[in-house]
Amino acid sequence: MSSDIPLNWFLYFAAASFSIGLMGVLLRRNAIAVLMAIEIMLNAANINLVAFWRYGIHAPEEGPLTGVMMAIFVITIAAAEVAVGIGLILLCYRRWHSADIDRFDGLSR
Amino acid sequence: MSQTLFLAISTLGLLAAVGTILARNLVHAGLYLVAFFFVVACQFILLEAEFLAVIQVLVYIGAVSILLMFGIMLTRNIQGDATTTVPQGWTLPALVAGLGLFLVLGFGINNHVGLKNKAAWSATATRPSSEIPKEGEASPRTLAINNMGQAVGIELVTRYVVPFEVAGLLLTAALVGAVALAYREGDDEGTNPAMRARAEFEPLDAPDQNRNGQPDSPGSASLTTTAKS
Amino acid sequence: MNFAAEWTLPVMWAQQQVELEWWTWLRWGLWLVLGFVGIFPGVVAYMVWAERKVAARFQDRIGPNRVGPLGLLQPIADAIKLITKENIVPRAADQVVHLMAPVLLLVSAFLVLAVVPFGFGTSQVDNPAHFNGFVPIDPPAGILYLIAVASVGALAIFLAGWSSRNKYSLLGAMRAVAQLVSYEVPQVLSIIPVILWTGSLSLVAIMNQQLDQGWFLWSPPGLLAFTLLMIANLAEVNRTPFDLPEAESEIIAGYHTEYSGMRFGLFFLAEYLSVFAVCALTTVVFLGGGSLPFVDYPRLFGTETNTAYLITNGLAIGITAAKILFLVFVMFWVRATLPRLRVDRLMNFAWKTMVPLSLANVLIAAIWYECVIRPGQPVQALGFSLPKPVLGWLITLPLVLALLWLVFWINRREWNAEVKAARTGLTRGGLPGIVR
Repeated sequence: MSSDIPLNWFLYFAAASFSIGLMGVLLRRNAIAVLMAIEIMLNAANINLVAFWRYGIHAPEEGPLTGVMMAIFVITIAAAEVAVGIGLILLCYRRWHSADIDRFDGLSR
Repeated sequence: MSQTLFLAISTLGLLAAVGTILARNLVHAGLYLVAFFFVVACQFILLEAEFLAVIQVLVYIGAVSILLMFGIMLTRNIQGDATTTVPQGWTLPALVAGLGLFLVLGFGINNHVGLKNKAAWSATATRPSSEIPKEGEASPRTLAINNMGQAVGIELVTRYVVPFEVAGLLLTAALVGAVALAYREGDDEGTNPAMRARAEFEPLDAPDQNRNGQPDSPGSASLTTTAKS
Repeated sequence: MNFAAEWTLPVMWAQQQVELEWWTWLRWGLWLVLGFVGIFPGVVAYMVWAERKVAARFQDRIGPNRVGPLGLLQPIADAIKLITKENIVPRAADQVVHLMAPVLLLVSAFLVLAVVPFGFGTSQVDNPAHFNGFVPIDPPAGILYLIAVASVGALAIFLAGWSSRNKYSLLGAMRAVAQLVSYEVPQVLSIIPVILWTGSLSLVAIMNQQLDQGWFLWSPPGLLAFTLLMIANLAEVNRTPFDLPEAESEIIAGYHTEYSGMRFGLFFLAEYLSVFAVCALTTVVFLGGGSLPFVDYPRLFGTETNTAYLITNGLAIGITAAKILFLVFVMFWVRATLPRLRVDRLMNFAWKTMVPLSLANVLIAAIWYECVIRPGQPVQALGFSLPKPVLGWLITLPLVLALLWLVFWINRREWNAEVKAARTGLTRGGLPGIVR
């Protein structure tokens, strides 16, 4: 590599993506759009994990792949979360005939 | 060269993220999200974790995006009516919250002070080498980077076996939960026309209705019609 | 390094940090253009011609024979027709997504071919008995990359059906996505025995392992895995008997109803290229891709001099192409012979038959590994030593047969109910189309 990428740049990208995801969660009213913004935040966290893994100095007893393993588990959990989340949104849609999260109020009507 | 590549990819990624949160049409938002996932996979490749990049494409673009698209389709809200736009009065607080968070994180990244004998990690400008040295032993990390599939496999069954099993349990619970959420009463034999037909013929009651008392429509198995939501 | 190898040496990635000069980029770019613009569309066009001829012969007719000798110019006539045809897009359709969907599908099909070794390449520096593979790139996680880009095709098909704003397109797209996602599972699970036996995810490593120990096909778990992989391949590329998503008699061409002209040409190209790509994958993974069963021919000539390199790799590419075309012919044969599966039977077949078979096959593959591949002495039995493959066959063949019987026995209740329902002609909400 002629000139390597400083670690900061990956961290700034992850921070910016995380903030954009947060803005999405607060701004959007459709439940599925909120799920998409949550996915953006999870991916930003993954980039953070892997960037620190690559650039850092690891303790030998932790193994050579700590960041990557954490990222793999995050991806797994995120996929399961989206699956269950879509199921819940569909149930809410059946109940309130809308995917607007402001309508999802009242535990029993 | 890799710096310009990183800058180009990051710009595209941030634009895709902004497109996701601002697009009125939900399918377009989903496509911007797919672009963002792809950019994240490119970042993983820049970080020399190409196994993780491939898993990212496989899981996120190949499965999670399709799930989200199905969710959009079944809640019938693509065009972008009132529920997808910004609710009243939330614009400014959301912008303030997002920018504030970015400033806090940026401050943390920039002004980090290292521990006693070490440099600040924010000043790290180059990565530890991943080339296999010509003489001498390669470090475990170098070997892992060069053959990450094998290294991940070994880690999953030695050091991370408990998280692996717990993740499997969690995925099973998610699977059972998703099926339970979608289950409707009286739908036992509903998907197999032959079983349903046999179940209908045995009792001698109303011949033109199935057991629920609903008028029977041909081919009302769940996959053969569009979702009547 | 000799001249021929220099011009065809793949750019290895992440194993060595190489600074590439501009003329390396140029050579690589020329190969890319040659492959994408020249070779693969030509291969696909003549696959279409071959399919029409083969299907015609199976149906006791001749097939295209007007345009050029033996109809060989028919694909060119078809291409000209598709390019000059008017591109009608419904006004209500989502214009951007409508264009992007076939492009994404084509990109996915091309990306699969980037990691398939069509030849042998040069000998590896540290192990002269193994080869680098005549492949654009050989990532250490090659098979996983291939599965990942193949799964992007499912998203593309959904977008195609969705953007057309047509009820039949949407129906076809939903069925196609359900089918593709379901059959990815047995596809991947049936490749796992091969990964187990090789110890690596790289397709070049799999090819090298088969140079050492014979094709992975010649073993009971290998045979079962090959069959499951071929069936899953048929489903993954939407070919008969799994072509309900694009069935003309059922849902008016499904997800490509609203596509005409060159956009339909892109779908066409993508489908046949996918057929070629999955047959190429099956060839490399089970049939040894370029090696012959009894001749040690890659090392016969070696790759040291220019002529030796050209002979070895030319033969290898020819043999690989012959194997791929044979598998493609099997796919054409199946299309001409079998009727279409109904969608719920298709899904039941995937989840209730193929997934248990492929999962248990992984266990039997592990047993084969212990019997045959693990380095060690052959077993001493009855005073003389059994060769390892014979022991492997003796142990795994009954296991495979027992597994097949078990899966069919478990499914028998449902299958007998179907047969009985068909025989007695139930129609109240029953089988569509069988009326008495």
